Amino acid sequence: MRRRLVPAVAAIALMAAAAPQVLAQPCFIFVHGKQTNTSTYTNYSSARSYWVNGSNDFIRTATRNFAAPFYVVGYNGTRPYWEPQAAGEVANEIVNATNGIADGGGNRCSRTYAQGGTFWVVAHSMGGPVMDFILGNNDSSDPNYNYNGPYSTVAQRISLAITLSGAHRGSQGADAVCSQSNPFCNFGAGFIQGCDDATYWLRSDDAVQVKTFANAPARNVYLTGGWEAIFGASACLSGEDDGVVQYASMYACGGSATASYDNSNVCGNSFKQESSGFLNLDAGHENHSDIKDASDDDDRRQVPDGIWTCSGSPCAPNTTVQTAMTSAELVSILW
Amino acid sequence: MNDSTTTRRFLHSAAAAAALLALTLPGSALAQIAPVDTAPGERGVLARAAAASYRQAARYPASSRPVAPGAADPVLAQRVPAPHSMPGRTADSPVLSVWSREVSFQAPAAVELHASLDQPRGGKSAPLEITGEVVRAGGEAVGRVTYRDDGEGADTRKHDGVYSARFEVPADLVPEVAESFAVRVRAVTGDGEEIGTTGGFLYGTPDARLTGRYRDEVRDGNLVIAAEVKVEAAGRFHVAGTLYSMKGEPVGWAQAAAELAPGVHWLELSYYGLMFHDRGAAGPFRLGTVALSTTTTMPNALNDLVENAHQTRAYPLARFESRPFGEPGLTAAAARLEASASGGER
Repeated sequence: MRRRLVPAVAAIALMAAAAPQVLAQPCFIFVHGKQTNTSTYTNYSSARSYWVNGSNDFIRTATRNFAAPFYVVGYNGTRPYWEPQAAGEVANEIVNATNGIADGGGNRCSRTYAQGGTFWVVAHSMGGPVMDFILGNNDSSDPNYNYNGPYSTVAQRISLAITLSGAHRGSQGADAVCSQSNPFCNFGAGFIQGCDDATYWLRSDDAVQVKTFANAPARNVYLTGGWEAIFGASACLSGEDDGVVQYASMYACGGSATASYDNSNVCGNSFKQESSGFLNLDAGHENHSDIKDASDDDDRRQVPDGIWTCSGSPCAPNTTVQTAMTSAELVSILW
Repeated sequence: MNDSTTTRRFLHSAAAAAALLALTLPGSALAQIAPVDTAPGERGVLARAAAASYRQAARYPASSRPVAPGAADPVLAQRVPAPHSMPGRTADSPVLSVWSREVSFQAPAAVELHASLDQPRGGKSAPLEITGEVVRAGGEAVGRVTYRDDGEGADTRKHDGVYSARFEVPADLVPEVAESFAVRVRAVTGDGEEIGTTGGFLYGTPDARLTGRYRDEVRDGNLVIAAEVKVEAAGRFHVAGTLYSMKGEPVGWAQAAAELAPGVHWLELSYYGLMFHDRGAAGPFRLGTVALSTTTTMPNALNDLVENAHQTRAYPLARFESRPFGEPGLTAAAARLEASASGGER
């Protein structure tokens, strides 16, 4: 109870300080990433804890101390991104959120879609391809239209998505784990310790990539990612990476899913896995875990076609634009 | 430009954002974002930017989009496999790249797999061996291959550093619709270092095929190209095609999908007329790439890509629709975002 009181007080202060913004605030819907067990699907606390590390809490920070309402999705992160317990569950929960239904922790969007609410999805890691599959199959002319859930309703109701180190093009970590022959790539601390069904569908091969089974997203997907390496694991990843996902995937690049990119040359908005709908934000010096739990306030850098401006013009790629900002803080200043 | 020399101005209401952060972040203060003078812009900038892009995209229906000048053919981009790589143990180790000839193979075709060992500073490396184990999603091994660079079978050129293997999917494993197979590739370098990665391919038995008959007309201001399909088993089918100018430039993309019963049907690709005004081109056009898929279930069964399928007649530009489509979902999303960004309620 005490834990909820503090943010509530802060929220009241915020409302007084910034009433117009509060009135128009979006509701944030959080979609987690790959899991090694089903706990986030069966237990709300696990899904909520995904975004927390000690006293750091991505959701608290991104929502400016809960000034914006939020809803936490929990799906089966051990299943392939396109399956009913993944994309299907996520789609259903997003629609629930837009209808004002509470998540497992009692959090609900204060305004429903019918009441004029706006909804921003924040997705981490495998949450990226899950959202790509939903938003790329929302129209009746799409290949897998409403395949196992109300994708068209999701696309109608959400305003945009932000992905944090999204595995849009899979992960070389999955390639390494599934090959069973790269012991020096240590992913023991990651989410892909074994080649389970979700990992199998997160490989770099085009035959399992979401782009093969979906169209361009119906709503914009804004991309940020981390470049803090993890010892051992990063040895198996091309270019900059966050220890689990390589840049070519986080930034949904066209061409090879394992092309070697850094903050200077990662693909811009015109060379994505789809012809439209994927847009760069920036990059943070966070690893794959830090980026989702606001535990590492560190440098941020501009990337090609990124959002930061220097003296009124887009900053040059690789410019340090912040020196102590988490991705959660980035999200908090975008609304 | 660096932190110390850049004059950084914290834009407009980004200052308000900073103030809010100071209020809301534990232990935070302006100092946390003090080195900044860069900012994503004023409050609501993302909402406004998204709204603007939706208004632009709303000029076309979801089923038909122009291809920007110089942009790649979106159908081809999804069907041409890209090599993917795995670095070796050290920075000086070769990199193992693997790919298949197609993203998806249509039964009863043999699967063609490729691999190369590339030196980090350019050039190929000669491996002692490259082998592959074909496995199903659950890990069940169903075959082994040895990659060769001898110019025979799947290997088109001898000693070019590209190693190739052919795999015949056993008859009892040919899927009813489609299945994803992985290939655990293991290369042993000349120095005895082992590098492994995972390739793969889709293998499918589509329930429909393009017969090769097409027809075109202008209907309601749009260029409609109908493709005849022969359906063997009831299901859902998706077709996408890219229209090219006669100069060979992709002009537009369209898709269609339908539930179809066994028999012969026509699927219509409708290219929204505005794209021809935008490009100042009235045809004739070439249907450069057509991709049919059976999408009854995941994974989808992809038919082989058909190229240069059809050439349309020439039509006067005036017959094509010149008004924006006004896609209602995107327009509504834009309006909602704009209202949100302005701080008002709808």
